[in-house]
This record gives sequence, C-alpha cells and structure tokens, in this order.
Amino acid sequence: MGFGAGSKRVARYILLVIILASIPSFLKDDYLLHVMIVTFLFSYLAECWNWVGGYAGQLSLGHAAFFGIGAYASTLLFLGSGLTPWIGILIGGSLAAAFAALIGGLSLRLRGPFFVLFTIATAETLRYSFLTFREITKGAYGLLIPTLRNDPLLFKFLSKEPYYYIVFTMLLISIAVTGIIERSKIGYFLNAIREDQDAAQSIGIDVTKYKVLALMISAFFTALAGTFYAQYFSYICPDDVMTVALSIEIITIAIIGGAGTLWGPVIGGFVLVPISEYLRITLGGTFAGAHLFIYGAVIIIVIIFAPRGLLGILSDFGRVIMRRSV
Amino acid sequence: MDPTIVLQSIVNGLLIGGIYALISMGLTLIYGIMGIVNFAHGEYLMLGMYSTYWLFAIFGLDPYISIALVTPLLFVIGAATQKFLIKPVLEASHFNQILLTIGLSTLLLNGALLAWTSDYRTVITAYATRAIEIFNVRIGIAHLSAFITAMLTAFAFYIFMSRTDTGKMLRAAAQNRDAASLMGVNVHKMYTIAFGISASFTGVAGAILMPIYYAFPAVGLDFVLTSFVVVVLGGLKSFRGALVGGLIIGLAESLGGTFAATEYNKLITFIIFATILLIRPQGLFKKM
Repeated sequence: MGFGAGSKRVARYILLVIILASIPSFLKDDYLLHVMIVTFLFSYLAECWNWVGGYAGQLSLGHAAFFGIGAYASTLLFLGSGLTPWIGILIGGSLAAAFAALIGGLSLRLRGPFFVLFTIATAETLRYSFLTFREITKGAYGLLIPTLRNDPLLFKFLSKEPYYYIVFTMLLISIAVTGIIERSKIGYFLNAIREDQDAAQSIGIDVTKYKVLALMISAFFTALAGTFYAQYFSYICPDDVMTVALSIEIITIAIIGGAGTLWGPVIGGFVLVPISEYLRITLGGTFAGAHLFIYGAVIIIVIIFAPRGLLGILSDFGRVIMRRSV
Repeated sequence: MDPTIVLQSIVNGLLIGGIYALISMGLTLIYGIMGIVNFAHGEYLMLGMYSTYWLFAIFGLDPYISIALVTPLLFVIGAATQKFLIKPVLEASHFNQILLTIGLSTLLLNGALLAWTSDYRTVITAYATRAIEIFNVRIGIAHLSAFITAMLTAFAFYIFMSRTDTGKMLRAAAQNRDAASLMGVNVHKMYTIAFGISASFTGVAGAILMPIYYAFPAVGLDFVLTSFVVVVLGGLKSFRGALVGGLIIGLAESLGGTFAATEYNKLITFIIFATILLIRPQGLFKKM
C-alpha cells in the first residue's frame, strides 16, 4: 500500500476537520451548536479516560474527581483573586495530575474490582468534602461565574462560537495525544499491562510507573475539560461536576465506541451525546435520568453482545464486505 | 466528654453496624463464590426499600411483615440477574464483568428515578419513636429490632451454610469450581442460588431500614460504598469478617460523628478504607 493510501487517509482527515470547523459559520441555531459543543466535550473526556481505561485497562470510575478539581481550581482562583481561567486551567490540570499521582500510587497495585472501588470512593469522598467545607466551596450552593461582557482574556464569551472552537481544538489535541501514545513505547507498555500485568512486570516493565503516568496524563487533560465546563456553563456545584453519574457517562461513551481504540470514544460521543441531549430537551426535568437509564441498558447490551463496542461491530462488518468483494 | 454520650454513641454504632454487616455479607457471598463484585448490590437494597415502602403505602403493611414478601422478591431478582446477565459473562474479563454490574446499577437507579421520582419516601410506624432506656442510654425500638433481625438472618445463613447439603455445595463451588463440578455439583445452579441469597439479604435489610431511614433512588450508593469498605476490611471472602467489619465501621462512623461532626462520616470511612488498603489489603479474616 505505502505512501498513496496513507496520504489519502490524511487528506480525508483534513477534509473532516475543515467540515467540522466550518459548521458554526453556517449553523446559526444556538441549540444545535450547544449539542455539538457538549458532544465534543464528552468525546474529549472519553478520549482522555481511554488512556487509562482503554489502553492500560484500569477501569477508573473516579474521573469526575479530576473534572471537578479542574472546574473548582480555575473558578476559585478567578473568583478569589481575579486570575484568568486561561492560567487557572493549567493550575487545575496540574493539581489534578498531582492528585492522580497520589491516589494512583495508593491504588494502582489494587487489582480489578478493588481499583474500581477505590476510584469511586475517592471521587465520592472528594464530592462530600466539597459539600462539607462550605467556607471555601460554598457547598451545595455552588459557584457562579458572572457573565457581564465578552472578555476573551478571561475565557468568557457571549456567543457560542468561541467555545465551539476551543472544545473542538481540545478534542483534536486529545486525538493527537492518543495517536502519540499508540505509537510510542508507553502505548505498547500500557497494552502489555492490560493484557497481562504479571507478564509485563516479568519482562521488566515498571508496571506501577506507567500506570501512574497514564493516570496523571489522563487527569491533567480531564481537568482542562472541567475548567471549560465551568466557563461555558458559568455555574458549578459538587453534585454537577463530581458525581459518579458523570464518570459513568464518560466510560459509557468510551465503551460503546470501543475502549482502547483511537476513534472509539469519538464515535461513542457522536452517537450517544446527541441522543441524551435530545432526551433531555424532549423529556425535560421531570424525567431526569432518562438518558442514564438508556446508558445503563446500552452498557449491558454491549458487554453481552458486542464487547468490542461499535468500532468492533463496524470493523467486523467491514471485514465481511471485504471478504465478499474479494 | 460525658461517658453516657460515648456509651450512647457506641450503642448507636453497633446497631447500625449490624445492618452494614448484613448488606456486606451479600457482597461477600457473591465475591467468595464467583469472584465477582456486584456493583448493583446497592440498587438491590434500594429495590428492597421501595418494595417495603409501597407495601406500606398501598396495603398498610408493617415493614416487619413485608420481610416475608420482599425477601423472596429480591431472591428472584438476584437469581434472574445471574441467569440472564452474569452467566453470559462468567468467562469474560474482570473488566467486562464489573462494567456489566455497573450498567445494571445505572439502569436500576435511573429506572427508579423515572418511575418513582427523587422524592424521599418514609414509612411511619408507631414504634419508630419509642425507645428503652438503660443506664441513661436510649435504645430506639426500631433500631434494636433491626439489629436483632439482621443478626438472626446472619445466624440462619450460618446454619444454612454449615448444616444443609445446599450450603455444603455452595462452599464446595466457592473452593474449587472444577472440582465441585466433577463431584456432581451443578455449579451454575449454585451461582443462581448464591445470587438469590445475596440479593435477599438486601431485601431483609431494605425492610428493616425503612422504619429508621428513607428511600430514594440513589440510596444504594451510600450503603454499598460503606459495605465495600466493610468487605475489604473483613477480608473479602469471610462472613465472620463481614460481620466484625460491619460492626467496626458502624462504631467508627458513630464515634467519629460524636467526636468530630456527623458530616465527617464519609471521610472517616474513606480514611479507614485507604488505611486498610495500605497496611493490610488482605483484610482481617482469611477463611470463609
């Protein structure tokens, strides 16, 4: 195949990026733009989770904690001392990475269900702490970021387009990072750890080091999305940004698309998020949780019938067609 | 500090710890026999509490009478889970097994939210506010009877496991699946029974909790996270461990609430959890 097929593929990607980047110039419906923004945001989060959950095979159910740290760090710094969220976002990311190093060191030697438990317990404890220490976090009342005027230097925009481009860029970066991880030795090490941790250890891979590293990178980028969320929605509270439900949404998207693959989380996001947004708008507040009800059902169906996700189904389908055409 | 307050706190902690122990024994049973951690266990408890609530709201049944109906109902739900959902993934990776039970938990929790809204439901009984007093320590009748019922259930289960043939077959399946199978034990049937019993513990717990607690869709999460800590503390596969662990965690929460503030309950439980994982990840007890 060689050069020709590769450059064709690159051309196709560039075309896709151009199409997606030009959407705001003709799509003037604010609600549809909002759906696109949320879709990108969750695809991005699923892509970040994928580094730990997919490639390294460590089922973290605590990613809401990193998301919440990002949201609260930049918002508290902005409200407290007027620091621009553009710097706050990096501080939030670094704090989340440090937190990940701490809990990763504690928990990553745990196997299977006990690692999952530890991540849920950590995230829930953090949520309770944020609800409890009201002097700093305002507890369940949450924090409101006032939107007075367009202020690009303070990460505040009155229209949706700038947010669209920011989150789109973030998604592209996360895909690029996934590509880099896949091709680097870290990617191979993580794969080896997922397939057989003991075997990986025995051939000299520092299992704990690479697992913690993956968790730290994932936490850093997940926290960036937290800041984005806070700026975009202008309001955060622990019961929005640190819940187990949020973590479950993220992993469902990754699993449905296909965990441990480059495009799986993106496909999962593009399929599931518009559906859940549609349910949210048509069923409204009276049926809060309708989309999660469906997420739960979808997880069960996928695990029993298609453990490799939509991407797995697509590639099997593709192989069947290829075989027929040959 | 007034010794009466400490004594009161100890009594309260032990009473609630008994219920933690009962819920935790259900988790221990599934983990011990099948090596699966059931993340939907808390949602079984939620279903047990709602069933008790509806039996009260519609038929006026006392929660302690409802035990006779809720327990078999939960047994059926648990057995059906094993037959239709767990069995297909028995040979799959841990990763997929965990995801499956998380999916079930999400489905049940949000199904309850859709069906019954997020309103808090309570059962009002005449004995809920009554208490006896010994040495200035007040013991709520509802709390005491919940504790006694939990302990009787645990004791009945102990007799079942040690004296009956089915109990012996369950233990055999736990020790070695293949060997048990070769000895003529129908392992899949044992798994179904184990799941049924595990869920029916939450049926009993749900019923006895209703006079002293309230039902809402996410109620399971709080209890199940505590129970997971209990199970890890107790040594994962040990029923004695679950019992002792439940009482310890109940005590720790209650004393922590008295000396610090009730709000720190979760933090205390988490600190215990992190400490066990660091110092003694194998827990207190080894044997089943």
